[in-house]
Amino acid sequence: MATSVITGRDLSVTIATKNYNEQAQSATLSADVTIETYDTLFSKAYRSIDKQWTFDLEMLADWGATDSLCEALWSAAETAPNTTLAVSLTAVTGAVFAFNVLPIFPSVGGSSPDAQTVTMSFTVVGTPSETFS
Amino acid sequence: MTASSILTSVRTPLKTAIQGVAANTYDSVPESPIVPFAAVVPNTPYLEPSFLGKGNVKVKVNLIMTVGVAIYDNQSALDNIEKLVISILAAIPSGYEVGDVSNPIPLNIGASEILACEIQLSTYYTQTN
Repeated sequence: MATSVITGRDLSVTIATKNYNEQAQSATLSADVTIETYDTLFSKAYRSIDKQWTFDLEMLADWGATDSLCEALWSAAETAPNTTLAVSLTAVTGAVFAFNVLPIFPSVGGSSPDAQTVTMSFTVVGTPSETFS
Repeated sequence: MTASSILTSVRTPLKTAIQGVAANTYDSVPESPIVPFAAVVPNTPYLEPSFLGKGNVKVKVNLIMTVGVAIYDNQSALDNIEKLVISILAAIPSGYEVGDVSNPIPLNIGASEILACEIQLSTYYTQTN
């Protein structure tokens, strides 16, 4: 097959139906898979027993802005911490991942004189569903 | 809706914000600046793409504000440029990252010699339309 290159410019992230490409600088969905190893008389045996997905997001802080993600997350984490938010992450056209995360409090502040940034690591509830076309 | 530009969205607002403290302000490289002056010019790298998606062009814009004063004598020129830089730093609007200020050095512009230094600035810009 021909070499395929996709970049961060192909990414698109939507949280609770709002797109945050204008603020987001990095978005990564990853799985921590727990694999047990069993030593048997015959050989080693491997078994995948659990997986936990995580969604990491880096963005410029948008406190005070219209449709602020920081403010929406803060409110959600404060008032409905156990209600999931729907996330859609497009890796590239034709590869879309949909999943739910629990809201967390974004960090506030930063170092002078840089732009304030927020780095968040969301716990994904359940397993992402993928759409490949 | 008129298309945005870095000139109208980034450099001109910066120039306007410091007009109260710098006698002569420029939002591009002046051919023959009149001292004391402040000129907003591109830094390197100038534009840094740093956001997700490609629906809109979004970049970090790195700028240098070159500040210059007349050299009549070393002591007063240094004092003047220090005061001017401090005033400019206070007047820079929110939304702009303020970086280091370089050491003042003498520059020859045309037939005149000035004392100049550079203030590093950066901000973020999204193209609309």
